[in-house]
Parts: sequence; C-alpha cells; structure tokens
Amino acid sequence: MDDIKTVAKELLTSGKVNAVIGYIRYGNDKRTKPFIAQKPEDVDKFVINNFILNNLAVYLTRKEVSKLGKVAVIAKGCDAKAITALIQENQIKKEDIHVIGINCNGVTKDFDIDFNSENIAGKCLNCDVRTPKLCDSLVGALADIPSGEDLKLKMIRGVEAKNAEERWDYFEDEFNKCIKCYACRQACPLCYCEQCIVDKSIPRWIESSATKRGNFSWNLIRAFHLAGRCIGCNECERACPMDIPLSLLNRKMAMIAKDEFNYDAGTDMNAPTLVGSYDLKDNEDFIE
Amino acid sequence: MKIGVFICHCGENIGRTVDCARVSKAAGFFPNVVHSVDYKYMCSDPGQNIIKQAIKDLQLDGVVVGSCSPHMHEKTFRKAVADAGVNPFLCEIANLREHVSWVHDDMDVATDKAIDLVRFAVEKVKRNAPLKTIQVPVTKRTLVIGGGISGIQAALDVANAGYEVVLVEKEPSIGGHMSQLSETFPTLDCSQCILTPRMVEVYQHPKIKLLTYSEVEKVEGFIGNFKVTIRKKARKVDDTKCTGCGDCMQKCPIKKKALSEFDENLTTRSAIYVPFPQAVPNIPVIDTEVCTYFKNGKCSMCKKVCGRDAIFFEQEDQMLTEEIGAIIVATGYKLYTIDKKPKNSEIKGYGEYGYGKYKDVIDGLQFERIASASGPTSGEFKRPSDGKEPKKIVFIQCVGSRDESKGFSYCSKICCMYTAKHAMLYKHKVHDGEAYVFYMDIRSGGKMYDEFVRRAIEEDGVKYIRGRVSRIYEENGKYIVKGEDTLAGVPVEIDADMVVLATAMIAQPEASKLAQTIGIPYDKYGYFVEVHPKLRPVESSSGGIFLAGACHSPRDIPDSVAMASAAAAKAMVLFGSDMLEREPTIALVNENLCAGCFYCKKVCAYNAIEVKQIFDRQGNFVKEVAYVNSGLCQGCGTCNATCPSKSIELIGYTDEQIYAEIAALM
Repeated sequence: MDDIKTVAKELLTSGKVNAVIGYIRYGNDKRTKPFIAQKPEDVDKFVINNFILNNLAVYLTRKEVSKLGKVAVIAKGCDAKAITALIQENQIKKEDIHVIGINCNGVTKDFDIDFNSENIAGKCLNCDVRTPKLCDSLVGALADIPSGEDLKLKMIRGVEAKNAEERWDYFEDEFNKCIKCYACRQACPLCYCEQCIVDKSIPRWIESSATKRGNFSWNLIRAFHLAGRCIGCNECERACPMDIPLSLLNRKMAMIAKDEFNYDAGTDMNAPTLVGSYDLKDNEDFIE
Repeated sequence: MKIGVFICHCGENIGRTVDCARVSKAAGFFPNVVHSVDYKYMCSDPGQNIIKQAIKDLQLDGVVVGSCSPHMHEKTFRKAVADAGVNPFLCEIANLREHVSWVHDDMDVATDKAIDLVRFAVEKVKRNAPLKTIQVPVTKRTLVIGGGISGIQAALDVANAGYEVVLVEKEPSIGGHMSQLSETFPTLDCSQCILTPRMVEVYQHPKIKLLTYSEVEKVEGFIGNFKVTIRKKARKVDDTKCTGCGDCMQKCPIKKKALSEFDENLTTRSAIYVPFPQAVPNIPVIDTEVCTYFKNGKCSMCKKVCGRDAIFFEQEDQMLTEEIGAIIVATGYKLYTIDKKPKNSEIKGYGEYGYGKYKDVIDGLQFERIASASGPTSGEFKRPSDGKEPKKIVFIQCVGSRDESKGFSYCSKICCMYTAKHAMLYKHKVHDGEAYVFYMDIRSGGKMYDEFVRRAIEEDGVKYIRGRVSRIYEENGKYIVKGEDTLAGVPVEIDADMVVLATAMIAQPEASKLAQTIGIPYDKYGYFVEVHPKLRPVESSSGGIFLAGACHSPRDIPDSVAMASAAAAKAMVLFGSDMLEREPTIALVNENLCAGCFYCKKVCAYNAIEVKQIFDRQGNFVKEVAYVNSGLCQGCGTCNATCPSKSIELIGYTDEQIYAEIAALM
C-alpha cells in the first residue's frame, strides 16, 4: 500500500491537483491539525495516526479552498461519506476533487489522550467503512483495532426509555448548556449554507441569544436539518465546548432513516436524497 | 395603511355560531383598522357594494373579509376590491366558516377565535404588497385520455368546435365497454348500432389525432401549457401500410391459446388480432405473450401472408410529445369479478358464489356478450359450460356494491337497470324461461327508468326476490342458489341453469397510478375526485384537467355522455381567451443566499425549479443557484418549506407575513 507522502507528492508534482488537504502533527504527538499543502515539500509533514480527528470534508465547500482549483483531500471512511453526501447535494463535483482514502484503524475520542479501548471514538466501534467507499487512491494498511463499549448507543436506549415529558426535560437540561458558539455548525461538513437559518433576521425564526427558547430551537432545528443527511462523523459533538451529547439526536435520526426507509446517508452519490424524494412504498404508518 | 374589516354572517352559517357584531366591533380597535362592519351576505351584490363604498369613502388601501374559505370567495372579494381601485392582493380572507362556525359549538369561544383570525388577517394585509397577475398563453389543444363513449363524446364535441384533439386509448381499438354491450336501457336500442358511427366519426375527424394502443407516460406543465409524453406501444404492425384486410388473423396458427378480452374470456382469438370486427382503427396488434415468433422465432405466417408487408416484428414503443392546453380524463371502469380474496386486499370477495369455479356463473359483461348479436353465440342464449339453452336464470344484484363487509360501500348505480334489461332480453328470446332477480332495493331513478323495471316485472314476468344469496353450489347439473326472501321471511332455494352476478363497477386498477402521473386527486376506491361535488362536478382540482364518465364514479351511458360534453365545454371555456391569468403568488429565490443544494428542485412537483449559473462581473463562474420558472410555479410553497436556509420565498406568503400572522395569534 502506498505511503501518504508519496501519493500526495505525486499528485502535486504532476499538477493533477493544486493542493492536498491533510493532517500534520501539532504540539505533542497526541494531537494533529489540518494542513493545506500547496507545494510538494509541504507533504513531508503529513501524518496518519489515531489522532487525525478532523473531518477534512468541511473545507471542500469553503471559498478559500474552492478557489484553489482541483484539490486532493485525505479522508477516513466517515469523512468520505461526507464527501459523497456533498456531491449528492451538488456542493462539490466529483471531478474537482481527488479523494485519498485511508485504511482507518480508528481514532481517539479527543486529542491529548492515549488511543486504547477506553478512548476509542464511539463511531469507530462498529465502523463498516474502515476502507472508504469513495476514494481515488488508498493508503495505509488495516490493523486490529481495540474494541470497547458503545456508550452512546446505551445513552440512546436510555433516552428512548423515557416518556415524552422526561425526554423533554432531559434535552432541555442538555441544551441549556449551549452558549451559541456555533462550533457544531462550523465543524459540520454538511452545514454549508451561505447564510444559516439562525442568522436570518427578517423574520428571526430562531432566537439567537443563548436563552432556553433560543437554545432549544437552534439545537432541534439543526438536528432536523441533518435528518437523513448526517453521516455520523460526530465532529459537532467533539467540537462542542459544552459537551452537549448532540450525537444522541443525530444518530437516532440516522437509525430511523435506516429502519424506516433503509437509507444510509453518504453511501451513494447518485442515490436520491432521503429528504426530497419519495417512493409509494415508503413506510407511512408512523404518521398519526 | 387604512384597513377596512368586513364580517359576513354567511346567512346563518357563520352568524349562528359566531357573534359577528362582536367580531366587527373588536376588529375596529385593531391598529390600522379604520372601518369595521358586519353584514348578512357579504358576497351578495349589496354586500360587495358595502366594501366598494367604504373603499371610496374612506380611501381604504387594505381589506380583510371575514367569511367562508378563500377557496370559495377569495376571487369574488378580490374582484370587488379591484373594482374599487385597490390592488386585489391587498384583500385578505379570514375563514370564519370552515375554520370557526362549522367546527365549533360554543358561541363565546368561537367568537374569540374569529376575532383572533381577523387579527391574523389584518397583520398579514399590513405586510401585503400590490401584485400583478402573470399572463401566460394558452395552447388550444385538448388531450382526451380514454376512448370509451365518454372520451369519444368529449373528443367529438371539442373537435366539432374547431379545436384540435389528441385522443389516447390504451387498448388497440376505441369503443370501450359500450362496444361490448348488447342492447342499452331503457330503450333497448343496439349498443353497437349507436356507437360505431361515432367511432368512425372520431377516426375520420380532421381535428382528431387518434392514438390507440397508447398510454400517457408523463404530464408536465400546467393549465393551458401541458407537455404530455405518450407511449405508443408497438403493435408490431405498421399502421401506415396495413389495410385491415384480416389475412394475417385468418392464417395465424394460434387460435385457441389466447382468450378474447372483448368477449370477456368466453372465446379465444388469434395472436395477431383486432379486438372485434368493427374495431377502430381496423389495424391488428400482435400479442407478443402468445405469438410463436416472439416465443421462439419459429413462425412468421402473418408476415408471409401480408400483401402489404405491414408486419413489423422489430417495431418498438415510440414516445411522442404533445403540446396540450386542456386534459379530459375518461378512463372508465372495470367490473369487479374476483372469485376469491385477492392477496393483500381488504376486499373479501364472494367465493361462495362460485365465480371462476362454475362456468355458468358469469358476470354482467359476460352476459352482455352472450346476449349480443356479435357475441360468441350470435345472440342465442347458450350457457358457457355445455351450450345448452338455460331455462332458469338467477340474477344477483349488488355483488360487491353496497357491501362494506365484503366489497365496497358505494352503490354501482347501473346494475338495477342492466339486470332488469338482462332479464328482459332473456325473456324476449326464451319465452318458456324463468328469470329470478335477487335484489336489495331497486334504484331506478332516471327518465323512463322505473317504467322499464316495472315492464320487466309486469309485462315480461321477471320474478324479483328481495334478499341476499348466501351460497351457490352445483348439484346434478343444476346450480342451487340458496337465499332468502326477506319480504316473505322465508328461505328460498332455486335450481338454476345459469347465474349472472351484477358485480360492482370499480375504478380501473391503474387509475391511481394515472392520477399520480397527471397530478389529480383520487378517492380510496381509485375514482378521480372533482373540485366541488355540486358546483364544479367535472373539474379536477388541477387546473385544466377535467373528468368525464365512469372514471369519476359509477354511471351509465347517458350520464357519461352528459359529463363528457360538460368536460368538453369546460375545455372550450379555457380556449375562449388567448391569454390565461395566473396568480403572481409564486416562489422567488434569494440568489445571494442560495447555497445551491437544490432540495427545492427535488421536492417541486411542477418541475418549476431550474439551475442558474451565477457569474461575477469579469465573467468568472461563482456558483449555481435555484431559479423559479414563473410559468410553471404554482405557488404551493413546498420549496419554501424545504429550503434549509430559507433562501426561497413565496411572494404574497413571505416568511415575514407568515411570522406576523403567527405572532398575531400568540
């Protein structure tokens, strides 16, 4: 299997792409940061390890990146799903990007902690895309990864067991922590709107201050806007400085999309999107 | 802004439950409202004059009418406002009838709600902008779907008025069910004799383009401007060469394998066939399911004998597109003739009557073929099993109709009449025969209809038994019909030679699919639905699409013909003007904010969203955004609701207006 540096260097020297988005070490060896390499020598700094947490797909819709022309991007399986979804939603064109997929051996929950069975990110536990489905080149080799307990699923089951009122109270408490920093939105590869609905002022649908009402409507509307779209990279939750368990909503919606409509977001760039398409055979019995 | 509020009592419809005077008084205190009155019938001439006069006297520039639904009278009031010189889109309706008086009992609560709804409309009107209607041209061509008597009538009416018609029929010939009938009630004139001349008239009409063996595949566009894609199925016979001589059918070695659809499976036909000798057009089709050539390529007898070289095995389905202004749907009905419960159906069926099991238990259309001079027995009464003349026939009405537990809750309307006709025709030919009719009620409303049934009973001696049949079984060559005479209160048992089931009329099995293709509503039975059951009975709720005949509900020939002519008249009304006025309440994209995800395009039911490329001043491509085709947009607002960043708005129903309305209620 080719080495990331070789592949990235070849892409840049041959002029196939104008930039490669990858990861470089940052601070200690349990931390990386995204880096846009525009010169072949820049790629020497590239690393691939269990600390490449960022979903680099988020940069593909940024104006600063799209003006560079054709770019290559390093993608874990989950990140590649985001790229697939972006192509599906007309945000990028497949021919404008080169996806360097990596055989992923899991990542940590967060920076600065050791990678082990306790700290492996929840999304990696039952990952079915350790080799990305969408990639133009593939680097790295698969190795055994630690197993661990899927705590988030346990939390989802816990919330499911609550009655409507208890669920409301639970989320009200969680959302109350929100400081409206919008880090979730910034980290999300699928939050690409030019102007987010929360920034719309005539009329103001969502109260933008961090009040109970404003927090509730923001977090719920964001979840709804990701229904059938969230590919589960969990970057929003990692980005949240207040530790709001955002994945409970996103992942539960993805589970519903799968159960009710047999839809997996980000798996097929030519598939009709779940929202915005319908089939006469669609399950309707949940409509009351 | 100076707003006038006008509260209508709608006779007693609103006034009975809503204290209109209190509503009008409360509205008078709303900001910007300078005038507020109530009146018994605001839609009447004097009512409208109250509005017009107030506009003139007080220089009103906004009007709120609290009345029935906008669906009913928004046009009326907007016109009145426009007549008085105010832009009609500065008039809003608060629905105090359907939303208040019809759904509430308590007067205090209803009145409070009415006041809220008026406040809501006042807030909306404050934010309304004067709008101009959009003018679009009308294509003066009609598409008629279905070539039965309804479609034929509609096509001829429109064509005779001088407008072009495209008539699409899915079967190889036009004529529909009427061509299968023997005689027609209540006059007993021969069905074919009155129908076939009209079929020929259609065929020869210079304004009618006849497309048989064709189906509507796709309908795009809107009233006055439809683009229709039609699949012309491969006949495997070149219709430009075929003369209809029939040599191919005579020589076709397959004679027994295919059942004749026209004869309701009582006879067989060849693989290359016309459904019946009087078919229009008289051009055969090849049934590729049974044809030997299409099975193993071993026969091409038809091709050999055809003197015109018209057999065209390689022919494929053709797609045609037609520019159409109005559509008349006349797809007709089917008879419900199941012998047992179909899979995944709520319909339980009538297995106990032995249909499909006993050859001599037949349905009404099969009886028509037996009674018909062109039928398998040349009109002589011979039963299907052994060809013997039946001496005793039992007719059973309401098989499937008016039976919620096993069939359909509706009345099929025509069976009382045709059963009387069947019994009469039988008695006319078999003088010593006995005819029994099991009925629930006799429903023979219509000109000369009841007289007809009386004649069957009194002059022809048909025996009517009021009651249901529980079971039919075979015993010693007879069919034992066990039932009950509910008038006499005794069980009845008749040993019949033949049984005729007056099975329910049902919608065509593919009616709901067609409805989805052309975009019209249908009910739970698959019948197409009209806009208003009384005042607009032949219009579908989609503009420019009209309904004719039994595709709408069970109906007989006179009713179908009348409805077809009505639908034709509606199409011609549309063609009376060159330009159509369209509401300006359509979607508008904020191109600055649009991120180009095109969810709006995906959900648009009218294909009104297009992709527009944005370039900067230097001509560099910037981005793709959604663009609304104002000719196609119907202003449904689905795009508006779908857009995640709210970058697409509905003119006249902007987020700001809706928000103000909601705020007014809170």
